[in-house]
Amino acid sequence: MKIIRNNNLCYACKTCQLACSFHHTKSFWPERSSIIVSRNPQDGTIKWRIKSTCDKCIDEEEPLCVKYCIYGALQILNKNANEQEVKDND
Amino acid sequence: MIKTGDIKGCLAGKILRIDLSNKKIWTEETKSYAEKTLGGRGINSLIMLNEIDIGTKWYDPENLLCFGAGSLVGTMTPGACRVDISTINVFSGGKGSANVGGFWGPELKYAGFDNLIIVGKSKKPVYLYINDNNIEIRDASSIWGKDIYETENILRKKIGDEHIKIACIGPAGENRVRGSAIIIDTAKAAGGSGVGCVMGDKRLKAIVVRGHGKIAVAEPQKFMKALTKCYQKCKEEPNAGMMRKVPFNLYSDPEWKGWNTNIVIKNGQDDQWEKEKRIKLMNPITGVPNMQKGTRACYLCPIGCMPFMEIDKGKYKDDKGEGFWINTIMGHACRFDISDPESVVESWLLTNRLGLDGDYVAAGLSWIFELYEKGIITKKDTGGLELDWGNSDALIKMIKKLAYREGIGDLLADGIVEAAKKIGRNSEYYLIQVKGQPSIEPFRIPKGWALAVSTSPIAGRHLRGATMGSNKYGPKPRPGNFNVTDYKNQASGVVWQGKTKELEDNLGICNYVGTWSGANFLTITDFAELINTGMGLNLTEEELMDYYAAIGRNLEKAFNTLHTNMSREDDIPPKRFREEEVKSGPYKGFKINEDKYNEMLNEFYELSGWDKKTGMQTRSDLEKLGLKDIANKLAKQNRLSSN
Repeated sequence: MKIIRNNNLCYACKTCQLACSFHHTKSFWPERSSIIVSRNPQDGTIKWRIKSTCDKCIDEEEPLCVKYCIYGALQILNKNANEQEVKDND
Repeated sequence: MIKTGDIKGCLAGKILRIDLSNKKIWTEETKSYAEKTLGGRGINSLIMLNEIDIGTKWYDPENLLCFGAGSLVGTMTPGACRVDISTINVFSGGKGSANVGGFWGPELKYAGFDNLIIVGKSKKPVYLYINDNNIEIRDASSIWGKDIYETENILRKKIGDEHIKIACIGPAGENRVRGSAIIIDTAKAAGGSGVGCVMGDKRLKAIVVRGHGKIAVAEPQKFMKALTKCYQKCKEEPNAGMMRKVPFNLYSDPEWKGWNTNIVIKNGQDDQWEKEKRIKLMNPITGVPNMQKGTRACYLCPIGCMPFMEIDKGKYKDDKGEGFWINTIMGHACRFDISDPESVVESWLLTNRLGLDGDYVAAGLSWIFELYEKGIITKKDTGGLELDWGNSDALIKMIKKLAYREGIGDLLADGIVEAAKKIGRNSEYYLIQVKGQPSIEPFRIPKGWALAVSTSPIAGRHLRGATMGSNKYGPKPRPGNFNVTDYKNQASGVVWQGKTKELEDNLGICNYVGTWSGANFLTITDFAELINTGMGLNLTEEELMDYYAAIGRNLEKAFNTLHTNMSREDDIPPKRFREEEVKSGPYKGFKINEDKYNEMLNEFYELSGWDKKTGMQTRSDLEKLGLKDIANKLAKQNRLSSN
């Protein structure tokens, strides 16, 4: 299972980052998130990455980042997804 | 009601205090202030009322510049990213306030601070670097004189952390141009009240924030459950897509009703813009929408209304940046009769980059254009510029003159009321201002809008109650026949919308995500549930609206009453809109009928708990809100209603 992001759908609102931190800490703590988002405020370019601490929200029905992404930019790809599919969306 | 010690979550916990005159830094607990006001703007208003002496002017070192992130900011509440910036209003001398989104407010809370209160004045230009508890007042000589983009680039390079968030002023604020904004995250302007002018006067160029901490809530699982409902509503709201593309979606249609009700042409000469000009400006293929290269959201925003623009042809080719709003159409296009899309985008980007307030530029400069048309000023006064309607080159040159105080720009920089006094020759009649602040708002057609703008405690802006009746939740009971052009049923809508805005600014929720717009994402029911589970309280919707929202409005009203001579006369629309009719379009012949407006104003005062005749606050209503000390202060100055 892999969490991927569609850059064309992402608005850089960082909800995923904060939702992730809630999973880890039961508080809102961006520094403890497994997702790091940064946005260049002058041209809107987005940098987004998942750290190795991501456990895919093992105790939740679905990863919180995916659950709360209002723009539908995040989705889960299963093991069988081909590499191109991952690349297209990442 | 909140009792001492009740609040168990959502707050960062501290208010950061900085004295720029004496280079002193200290903190205090937020709780006691939040217990009275819920947070955000309420805390700023309370501190200003308690600490600024009567007679203090905006340029005195004793004036405070207050930043307040709302109490839900830093949690995962949709749209909770807003910061209130309050200070003495440079136009009215009363309460000033501007509200802004972006990422800076949440960062302040993660650094450990709910509010930041700045007093004093530095001798030399400085900037603040707040990195959690490490707070420094730093030399700003390398960024003084730079525009917003340059300032941010230098600071990012110097500090070397891509996650810093910056609030700064441009050359306009440095030059103490009255209509200067504080710009957050490159393009989000806290525009009104001259907050950037005050920051420049304090010789404070920027406030850089980096926070590594957390915001904890009282009942994490219950809070998350409430949030899940909110996110579900945001996902399911059918208007979300429409909101995401405002203004491009709506105003690309030349028949959109907003073109007929919300637009003022040529500094108030008419309220109707020709269809061919609407089409030229907003044509999806050749107009402004074609220059939108992307859209981004503020922190946690489910709408995402920030367009990134890039000009791809003409003399401004390759200029790019964030921002194009309905105010751009109302202000920089219609007010000057400019329909050339590239010029309108350029004028907006330039306004931002120089740190000016878009509405001040639009209302102030369109007044000067009209004085030129009427022959009250000539080319001799404008330094050779021909300020003809539609002349976009002249507008762009005038924006620069204003920011750098060159030629006639110097005269306008000190405020247009003062400029009118100097110019004389009936120039004052053409001045569109409320309580001293230039205004771009429509008055003659939407009557509730006119009432809200005219009564706004922060002078001539629409977000303190203006309503188009688009929110499906309030007020209750819902007026049966709500017609924006009618005088009936407007006052209750304005009071309701004003109160919800009080809550939104105290909680830090964007009113697009809250109650103002047609999106209908979050309601007072959601606010109550989030506050109760997040802060550990037990408040009802009625307590929020009738008590805490009313406190917010009354604090600002009291500040105005104590610090200025404002009276009922200051809650009346500009003279021009009471005398001149709309000249064309479906609302031809409309103007403000003074008798009917006054009836509406009476009702507004009554619903607000103020004296119906004078608009002054009453002891009984203030005491009901626990504001006895303020009633006493007002009485001491003989500024409390005797009824």
